[in-house]
Amino acid sequence: MLRRQLASLAIVALVALATGFVLADQVRSQLLTPSNQVARYQALVRSVQELEAANADSRRQIAQLRSAIDALESAAAARSSTTQALRGQVADLRGHAGLVAMHGPGVVVVLRNGVAGPGPGGASAYLVNYQDVQDVVHLLYSEGAEGIAVNGRRLTPLSAFGGTEGQIVIDQGPPLSSPITVAAVGDRNRMSDALADPQQLADIRAREVQFQLDLAFTGRPDVQLPAYDSSLQVPHVSPA
Amino acid sequence: MRGGAIWLIALLVALVATVQIRSQAEVERSLVGVDATSLAFLIDDLHRANDSLSSERADLTRRQSALASGQSGAADQELTDEATRLRAIEGLIAVRGPGITVVIDASGLTALDMQDLLNNLAAGGAEAIEVNGQRVVTGVPVTEVSDGVSVDGVVLPPPWRISVIGDTARLTDVADLMTQQLRADRRVRSATFEAKPEVVIRSVVSEKPYVYAVAS
Repeated sequence: MLRRQLASLAIVALVALATGFVLADQVRSQLLTPSNQVARYQALVRSVQELEAANADSRRQIAQLRSAIDALESAAAARSSTTQALRGQVADLRGHAGLVAMHGPGVVVVLRNGVAGPGPGGASAYLVNYQDVQDVVHLLYSEGAEGIAVNGRRLTPLSAFGGTEGQIVIDQGPPLSSPITVAAVGDRNRMSDALADPQQLADIRAREVQFQLDLAFTGRPDVQLPAYDSSLQVPHVSPA
Repeated sequence: MRGGAIWLIALLVALVATVQIRSQAEVERSLVGVDATSLAFLIDDLHRANDSLSSERADLTRRQSALASGQSGAADQELTDEATRLRAIEGLIAVRGPGITVVIDASGLTALDMQDLLNNLAAGGAEAIEVNGQRVVTGVPVTEVSDGVSVDGVVLPPPWRISVIGDTARLTDVADLMTQQLRADRRVRSATFEAKPEVVIRSVVSEKPYVYAVAS
């Protein structure tokens, strides 16, 4: 009798669980109509989520493949001096391309959104945008930065910035938003002096005053930069 | 017994619904304030990015297979090919390929304008860029000096002739939009572009050894 009761209870519980899943799914994927603005927006958000998950998975696989290739090349280099020499050349080139993690003295810059306010562009001018990141990166490179990463995404010689509103897209990465951390390895005093110079980063300085956009930086004895983990293909280029 | 069963059922339904709704809320929090049009652009960017990542994965998988085959010379060939590709990416060798040339005649354009132009081209798929015979990659300083705009320490007076190698269709779209916007700028006298089956870039970036950075 007790066993029968327990079995009944288990069946009812399973049905309840299944009902919960079906109910939640129905709420999420209700039929979209032109007037159903909220549902259409939800669908867009879900699309972004799925694409971001695929993006992260691809980058993980790429990092694993590069590590595996490095191990195979190391094994081949152990058997041949020619291979060893070639590997040395490529190691240096990979370093400059951003394909190798690096560390050294440098600076870390953090950009944070401000507060929305009245005035021209007030609806979005308080947001950190891709031009702000571009401006900070260019300043650091012009002051001798040897490597830079933005929110843990390493920059390469082909890196480009894009995005809209407060969403920043760098290369093939997922969108980034405030707070944005720009880490750079190089002459920390020279980079710090440039960041402290009120003549530099004029647009950011103006929005710091008007919209409380926030730029803060610190010099550090050791800044770690990860290896680039995305595509670095140039299919249209060949040696001249 | 019956009361306990009902309690358990209600708990299970509530748990499942909560987990589903919270995971949805997490995604939405990261995209708070982003309008539908911006989301659509993000989706477009992510599709293109994911296609590039798939291509890279396929290439790396091929290289791994070639190296794992143990064939004589496989490692040397892969390393030689990679060295050539990286030298091209870093601007260390002359290169050729399909692309566009953009000519901008203006007075008063600044280093920020040049940075925006170069970034737009890079975001549009540029694989190699040269301005007035000066090779440019991300990391090359583009700065404002008393004489005008300097790229890697060389002042580049207008007109700016920009040679770009990459996907011609994408670059054409970018250049079309870019030159339209430039022509609306009062500082710009003319801004034109031309697609070409072959663009040759002979300039190179000067190699700079690391002083502070050490491989981890």
